[in-house]
Amino acid sequence: MSEMKASARFVPFMTLYRREIKRFMKVSVQTVFSPLISSGLYLLIFGVSLGGNIQLSHAVSYLAFLIPGLVMMSVLNNSFQNSSSSIVSGKFSGDLEDWKIAPVSEWEILLALALGGLTRGLVVGVITFLTGEAFYYFINHEFIVVHSYLLLFLFLLIGGLSFALFGVSVAFWARTFDQLTAVNSFILLPLIYLGGVFFSIQSIHPLWQSIARLNPLFYFINGVRYGLLGISDVDVTTALLVSVGALLFFYLLAYRSLSKGSYARW
Amino acid sequence: MSVAPLKITNLVKTYPPQTPAVDDVSFEVKKGEIYGLLGPNGAGKTSIISCVVTLQKPTSGKIEIFGLDPHAHPLQSKMKMGFVPQEIINSGYFDVYEILEFQSGYFQKAKNKEKIDYLLNRLGLWEHRHKKVKALSGGMKRRLLIAKALVHDPQILLLDEPTAGVDIELRISLWGFVRELQKQGMSILLTTHYLEEAEELCDRVGILQKGRIREEGDTAQLIKKMTKRKIFLKLRTTTPVEHPDLIGFTNDSWEFLVSQEKGVGELMEELGLTTRSLIDVKVEEGSLEDAFIHVLGSPS
Repeated sequence: MSEMKASARFVPFMTLYRREIKRFMKVSVQTVFSPLISSGLYLLIFGVSLGGNIQLSHAVSYLAFLIPGLVMMSVLNNSFQNSSSSIVSGKFSGDLEDWKIAPVSEWEILLALALGGLTRGLVVGVITFLTGEAFYYFINHEFIVVHSYLLLFLFLLIGGLSFALFGVSVAFWARTFDQLTAVNSFILLPLIYLGGVFFSIQSIHPLWQSIARLNPLFYFINGVRYGLLGISDVDVTTALLVSVGALLFFYLLAYRSLSKGSYARW
Repeated sequence: MSVAPLKITNLVKTYPPQTPAVDDVSFEVKKGEIYGLLGPNGAGKTSIISCVVTLQKPTSGKIEIFGLDPHAHPLQSKMKMGFVPQEIINSGYFDVYEILEFQSGYFQKAKNKEKIDYLLNRLGLWEHRHKKVKALSGGMKRRLLIAKALVHDPQILLLDEPTAGVDIELRISLWGFVRELQKQGMSILLTTHYLEEAEELCDRVGILQKGRIREEGDTAQLIKKMTKRKIFLKLRTTTPVEHPDLIGFTNDSWEFLVSQEKGVGELMEELGLTTRSLIDVKVEEGSLEDAFIHVLGSPS
């Protein structure tokens, strides 16, 4: 009896997680396949067309350098978008009230939203990686061989979870669509683009290098680049420690937003 | 002595900087009864229910679901509650069946096909189970909300204006369903604008005004206490009658407003009339609406 009760206790969490997956798969053209187009364009314009003129201090082509950055950008963007849009659409439709009145703990909601975001992020990340591999093969007639699957997966996991949690924080905090868009435009995008997706910080002024090192995404992106190519602008242990610290920060931020935030309709 | 399914003690809910929306409200819903919370718009009905289901945090006071505070013990107490909100929940991505599956899952029921199928059939939603909420009519949306509230077999059901905007046919069918739930032993808290609905369904009612319960009690007793009966006498005589309870003469009948205790015989006696002088008699009992107006005063 108690065994049955213990397993039943996981049902709400599993339901919330399943709902998150079903939700983004119902609009898969928008959530999963349209990022494929944008990644393809980045690879074509920056990786193939302009990349030939860009010299890196690392012993890899610009296209190879770009692929892990784009993979991480896809994971971060989609993890954030998934959890934030799930909450925002729930605020519109009233679904959030269903969660509030159900015997579901805040911890379960948080974990399900974070894992839902991570799942979408990883799906899009894998599609981006496969697209990058196809471009790389087309130019170089060989595939990129992953340097460390463990580190690659670890950094993708930490980055995806962090940004899914960040999405939860922002969506619970936001009281209007404008606020959500503002965070996306003024915080998220600059952090992503200045985090080293498209360039190595070794190619910028030391002052900007110091500023870039304050951006947690710099460590996420370089961690993934190390996992995939074995190169990084920062020591991988440092990248891992900062990334874990960032995950903890985003977790605490999300938990606070969830506890203090409103489940009420917009 | 059994624990009350819902007990509210000295509940206060304030939305600063306004005056309290709920002001020192106390009542309980007994096992197997339907309790009606009545009141005009803004009386505090939804605020009370919102505090019970934890959508709002009470400013002060105590709420107990089978002896447990839903804010302190949310997981245990919420398992016992079913809630039908006033506003439609859209759930844009999912169809009716998926929504009920998710709702079951939130209440720890991984496999709940039998109950979902029963509710879909019982509430006339079976043919619409693969439709999204936006494709349903207003009445179907209401029935879906009721199905959602019942997937986990709650012991107390909280209905916040469940028949608002619903046509009379569906309303009567929902009343039948609510009575059926009561017969199965469910306790029900109902808020409604429709006094006819409350009179039809509720064992006891509380009349709210500006966040306070102005009157509470057994529905029939309350009507008796707060209203008078109308007696219409059609007489053979055309001689004008005189009586302190006489309020008018319409359609050839003398109209009297008398206390609940006074019968036709007593009135006839006071008028000095015999049954031979009587052509017809009609008695209109007071309604909950009369009691409501008596308690709150006529809307100006």
